[in-house]
Amino acid sequence: MALKGKENKPGWIASINPWVLRIVNNPERLAFVLHRITGVLMALIIMAHIYVTGIPAHTGWEAWIEEIQNAHGITPVTLYFFFFAGIAWFHGLNGIRLLLVEFLGLCIGEPEKPKPPYIAPSLKGCQRKLLYLVFALWAILWILTGYILFVA
Amino acid sequence: MVSASKRLLLQYVTAILLIFLLTWHLVIRVPALRGVDTFMETLSAKLVYGEISSYGVLLLVFAYVALLHGFNGLRNVLLEWTGGRYSKPITIIIVILFIVFASLATYTVVGITPPG
Amino acid sequence: MSFDPKAATKIPPKKVTFRIKRFNPEEDREWWEDYEVETYRGMTVLDALLKIKEEIDHTIVMRYSCRMGVCGSCGMTINGMPRLACQTQVAEVASDGKPVVTVEPLKNHPVMRDLLTDFTKFFDKHRRVKPYLLRKDVDERETGDYEYEMLPEEHYNIYEYTLCIACGLCYSACPVVASTDRFLGPQALAYVWRYVADPRDEAWKERLEMIDTDEGPFSCHYAASCSAVCPKMVDPGAAIQRLRSALIKYRLGLYKKKRISKKVGPMEEKKPRKDLPPEAKPVDGVDPWAKDQEPVKIPVEKLI
Repeated sequence: MALKGKENKPGWIASINPWVLRIVNNPERLAFVLHRITGVLMALIIMAHIYVTGIPAHTGWEAWIEEIQNAHGITPVTLYFFFFAGIAWFHGLNGIRLLLVEFLGLCIGEPEKPKPPYIAPSLKGCQRKLLYLVFALWAILWILTGYILFVA
Repeated sequence: MVSASKRLLLQYVTAILLIFLLTWHLVIRVPALRGVDTFMETLSAKLVYGEISSYGVLLLVFAYVALLHGFNGLRNVLLEWTGGRYSKPITIIIVILFIVFASLATYTVVGITPPG
Repeated sequence: MSFDPKAATKIPPKKVTFRIKRFNPEEDREWWEDYEVETYRGMTVLDALLKIKEEIDHTIVMRYSCRMGVCGSCGMTINGMPRLACQTQVAEVASDGKPVVTVEPLKNHPVMRDLLTDFTKFFDKHRRVKPYLLRKDVDERETGDYEYEMLPEEHYNIYEYTLCIACGLCYSACPVVASTDRFLGPQALAYVWRYVADPRDEAWKERLEMIDTDEGPFSCHYAASCSAVCPKMVDPGAAIQRLRSALIKYRLGLYKKKRISKKVGPMEEKKPRKDLPPEAKPVDGVDPWAKDQEPVKIPVEKLI
């Protein structure tokens, strides 16, 4: 009797939870998960954004003007813009890195002979530095956005 | 059927366009560049109408490119999550959504009237 | 997988608890079981598992062979990271603060029993990418009289990909394989790039067109987990990115293989044999010149 093995796949949860496996020296996986989550959210938010900005063309400017007048400071409208901007910043910045890595095949090091400490060239390549730059710029730009939205 | 390389090429080309379009779209919301004091004032009816009437074509290109990039990516993600089982219904829904939102964006730019 | 000599040469905690995920297919039962093992300096996780099998519980099922990271049989998820059990020191994964090592079967491969996983799908995908040299001339490939020239720097380009031992760790770490069966996986795609970049292979166009589907490199999103877990430093992640950009360039008419090497040889010239000395008597029924006859050639179908 041939035994059929039990499937042992984490499924789609593996692409939204970076800790399904605890792999050391792998921030790219975190970036992949964040890129996917922000990508799906962006697709949904773009739809909402196009619908909302289309309202003045359908029913006139009254609702728009009233909404803008009440939306100063920390309100649902500014919070929505704040998270929209944060999601867009990460997806865009990491997207530039992915264009270099995936589209042009750059920044992934050169093939080399294995020698201690046996770290794959693509993990030592400049895409890793770009990844840290992406996280740093993301934080800076998001804070700046928050400053413009809530303080200025 | 479009080959996988063509679909991904579309994704990368729209991504390159979006870098510039999104930067422009976000930078024009900086209050200091528009001569106003707060972020919310850049969204006033007068300024927004001025944008739509003078940069309408650019805004439309932005909307189409963003929708192409977003829905193409969303389709890829959904196909991956479902293991490629419902490829046809997912593609049909995505195409319908694209047509609906692209025509909504077109109507916004074409049918806008001045405020007041 | 990075190697930290300081962590690997430490003395492990005296007693380490191995928490092993077990599975019984007859009862369809899954459970965790703890075993306490006395360790020694230089003990690997595979040594510990074998000690458990010998001394405590002989019903544990696992696959292993060479015990030195060559055969690629003993891949397991150790403390949540796919590793080769024979290459993992207990001192690396257990500390005095937390002397517990969890051992699970590899993810993404179907589990047969305990730590034993089924590699059928994995090797099917490996076979589908035709992991061997393809030449237009079938005859020269089959007779084995010829060699193909290759410069050292060309060898250098593909050397790290030739080190793959098909242990299945990259396949187990990949988040795309985790959600869909329709991805060939890092190992198979690294092999495609290894032959596309190899100057001795003539089928680069066919290989590039073969993988231009949803199964191919476009399903990869560069999570780079494959490169991070590879015990042989093969770097499948980089191979897939190179393959992807080569394929896009090829579709735009910009990619061309740099060089396809020519055959050299035949390497051994056939010399006429000397006659047997007069005192040598051939055994009855054995023809001493049988080797000089032309070998029987079985016609092989054209592959490209």
